[in-house]
Amino acid sequence: MLLNLKGIFKWVQTGGARTFLLRDINLTVEEGGFISIMGPSGSGKSTLLNVIGMLDEFDEGEFLFLEEPVHQLKEKQRAALYKQYIGFVFQAYHLIDELTVYENIETPLIYQGIKKAERKALVADMLDRFNIVGKKDLFPTQLSGGQQQLVGIARALIGKPKLLLADEPTGNLNSSQGEEIMNLFRQLNKEGVTIIQVTHSEKNASHGQRIINLLDGRIE
Amino acid sequence: MIRNYFRIAYRNLKRHKVFSIINITGLAIGIASCLLLFTIIRYELSYDRFHPGYQHLYRVVTEDKSADGVFHTPGIPFPALEALRIDIPDMQWGALFASEGSQVTVLGKGETGNTPEKRFIENSGFFFADPQFFQVFRYTWLSGSPAVLAAPNNTVLTKKTAIKYFGDWKQAMGQLLKLDNTVTVKVAGILEDIPHNTDLPLSIVTSYETAKANPSTYFYSDSWGNTTSSFQIYASLPGNIPVARINLQLEAFSAKNYKDRKRAVRTHFLQPLSQLHFDKRFGTFGDHVTAMGTLWTLGLIGAFIIIMACINFINLSTAQAIGRSKEIGIRKVLGSFRWQLFGQVMGETALIVLAAVILALALATFSLPFIKHIASIDETLGFLNWGTLFFLVILILVVTVLAGLYPAMILSGFKPVLALKNRITSAQIGGISLRRGLVVTQFAISQVLIIGTVVAVTQMKYVQDADLGFAKDAILVFNANTDSAFHTRQKTFSGELKRMPDVAAVSFSSDLPSSGNNWTTNFAYDHRPDENFGLDIKYADHNYFSTYGLRFLGGRGFSESDTTREVVINETLTKKLGLTDPTQAIGKEIRMGSQPWKTIVGVIRDFKTNSLKEEVRPIIIAENRQFYWVTGIKLKSADLARTKAAVEKVWDEVYPEYAYTNNFVDDTLAEFYEQDEQLALLYKLFAGIAIFISCLGLYGLVSFMAAQRTKEVGIRKVLGASAGNIVYLFSREFIILISIAFLIAAPLAYYIMQSWLQDFVYRINLGLGVFLVAIFISAIVALLTVGYKAVRAATANPVKSLRTE
Repeated sequence: MLLNLKGIFKWVQTGGARTFLLRDINLTVEEGGFISIMGPSGSGKSTLLNVIGMLDEFDEGEFLFLEEPVHQLKEKQRAALYKQYIGFVFQAYHLIDELTVYENIETPLIYQGIKKAERKALVADMLDRFNIVGKKDLFPTQLSGGQQQLVGIARALIGKPKLLLADEPTGNLNSSQGEEIMNLFRQLNKEGVTIIQVTHSEKNASHGQRIINLLDGRIE
Repeated sequence: MIRNYFRIAYRNLKRHKVFSIINITGLAIGIASCLLLFTIIRYELSYDRFHPGYQHLYRVVTEDKSADGVFHTPGIPFPALEALRIDIPDMQWGALFASEGSQVTVLGKGETGNTPEKRFIENSGFFFADPQFFQVFRYTWLSGSPAVLAAPNNTVLTKKTAIKYFGDWKQAMGQLLKLDNTVTVKVAGILEDIPHNTDLPLSIVTSYETAKANPSTYFYSDSWGNTTSSFQIYASLPGNIPVARINLQLEAFSAKNYKDRKRAVRTHFLQPLSQLHFDKRFGTFGDHVTAMGTLWTLGLIGAFIIIMACINFINLSTAQAIGRSKEIGIRKVLGSFRWQLFGQVMGETALIVLAAVILALALATFSLPFIKHIASIDETLGFLNWGTLFFLVILILVVTVLAGLYPAMILSGFKPVLALKNRITSAQIGGISLRRGLVVTQFAISQVLIIGTVVAVTQMKYVQDADLGFAKDAILVFNANTDSAFHTRQKTFSGELKRMPDVAAVSFSSDLPSSGNNWTTNFAYDHRPDENFGLDIKYADHNYFSTYGLRFLGGRGFSESDTTREVVINETLTKKLGLTDPTQAIGKEIRMGSQPWKTIVGVIRDFKTNSLKEEVRPIIIAENRQFYWVTGIKLKSADLARTKAAVEKVWDEVYPEYAYTNNFVDDTLAEFYEQDEQLALLYKLFAGIAIFISCLGLYGLVSFMAAQRTKEVGIRKVLGASAGNIVYLFSREFIILISIAFLIAAPLAYYIMQSWLQDFVYRINLGLGVFLVAIFISAIVALLTVGYKAVRAATANPVKSLRTE
């Protein structure tokens, strides 16, 4: 079992009333799973993803990640945990404009304290694998959207995460680019990476093994 | 439309409160500083410009060229006055003769005037002048006319002095005054008060004939050999005669009258009145001469400060421009022309500048008394005059254009489609490198100012702590214009003082060991012909050495006697005479001018004879009681105030008719450096302001960077960056910028300060330390400023920053 959410609630206080973002979420994800989260705007998809990614707090409930009780961990331990096991892919790619493709992919390794020679080897492998060796010295603005997202995924995978979280990874792409990314995800999943993606598209969702529908913060 | 712009401008200011506050405060402080500096500079430049036809007024000055170098003095021998009138009749020549520290006793209509309230010591403003002087300078006469000064024993008062002496200037005419306990004069005229910005600060002017009639009291002499800076000749030149012609005539005049002079070639020439206040070669009767270089420095500092404030503005507005791209895009889509948008941004800038000016006026008004104090401006100066208003209008225009032009061009040049899609990036507003350049400029300016200030302050401290070569602590001095009545009682006075337990020593002399005065003579040594350099005379009694703690290299002080033929010289003199061992001079004879030969009995270690800006001069110390103007009393009491009061009591008993003024030697010495002190204080103040402004700008810029890099910081945090990584990310850039700025500032500051230090003979070395201090201060200041914002950015939650899209 990779992770387990038990009775997760998250709310914001507006005046006297609570507005619930997540309501009683119970979810178990096994290693090697490929899960798609669907639901209309504002249903809490991104919030759930952020909670799983430990970027956001929740107000009630238990969260076990690789048997570790995340809700009891200190900030620092949590950071160490997600640094090691989780990779993120965003709809808007979120590449650093001032850095080259190579440097963007390299950044997480710097923060993990990996030596320069080793970083070089790892990044080279990744560039090779995604067929973007020729673009390594370009800046993000010089790439197409699909290429930028490839770099984003490469960056997410460089730290060899167990879990890849993707928030609408194809939202800004055209259909053929989107298709490519989805094929890549399936490939990665076969190699053993657990994937949780948020998506609007039924077609993309169908690539996964399991679909979770959210409505008003609740699993349907 | 204008209303719409103003509304938008106002809302923008309100929405971006921090930026607005930084912008307005920075500009206001900059403008206020400029305004104050402008006021100081304008005041200094206005000296003696109020005289009608000042462009045609001149002073005759003297230049002596000898093997020793070139000496300048504003003085001229007394007989030159009549000779000039005969030889160069085209000019109107007027004489002005000052007597410092003269005593005025108010007799009124005939009382004795021995009450202390009726006695005044006039340290400045006591003059003798002839009627022609008042034809050269056309002052306003409230009563009387220049003609009254043709006769001896007539005097003229300014309104203020008349009120001081008699309570009411209208009552003053015809009343009697006694000058220096010697001459009784009648008030025969009243002058309107004279503005403060003059180097001729007249307060009481007695007819020149009176001084001539009392040559021993006022040291008037008919000889061509005597020159005192107290006697000056002023002249007015008719408009149709070129100055060069008169200067040629003066050259011939000098050649004719000084053909017997051996030591130096003397020439007179005309110095324009408008240059009196700025020419350090010559002194004036005013309290200070300001070098043009100083005014330039102050002006430059003002320019620096305003440039830094404008840089802040440009940095912040271009930084904000991205945030406003949507508004600009919409306006363009709605049909606005580029020039309209340009106008809008310029208008907003003008609005901010205007707000800053209002704040600046308040700031400047508030700090003006303080500035007046440290810049020794006592004029009732304000900002409500045409000059200042004109300056302000110019300043508003310059600042608006300087600060607004670039942001306006950038903003109005946005492509509407890109702007609407939020795709304006910092690259498009030329942003980062331009802003980096501006920040480097700011750092460089503030580092130059820091280095300058540190050097100036260290040098002043060095001067104050320097070993003067004599004891200056706890010595009380009186100055008195002496006459024979005063001398005969000197023995009684010192006897009375010595009986007081708190008095260690008493000495009468012509001068303090170290002072701004010098009395030079030609001399001969060891029966050789006259030497080719001059000698400074200090007349003093035998107690001089112990009172001022002078140290002997060899020999002894002269013995107590009224008719001694013994003298003491200093080390520098022996060196200039070419002696290898100072004590070789002991037992040799020396002759000052045409006096009898005297024996050298001692050589004293060099002490600083003048200000530390000058070299030690060759000195001779001899006895001559006629010139004992200065009484020095060495006190040993801890309670100086009480002892001072006791001394005053003794003075009043011995000298009932003489007014009592005193001073401690260290205070007198401090006056030497007063102007440098004040300048150092001004530099410190404005350097501090400049640093503060650059901090403001830095803070604004970092705030903006933090805002703009929110996304990047968010991504980095998600990728695993710690808070420390993020703070480093922000600080690294500024450390690099500071280093670049330092590379520019250090050589510049070195050059500037090295030339400033040339003014001092005794000066500090410009070591590495000063520069390290400068870079250390600016690094600390920058890091503190950057650090706060960086930590805030680093600890923010990345989910919030990444959710925006």
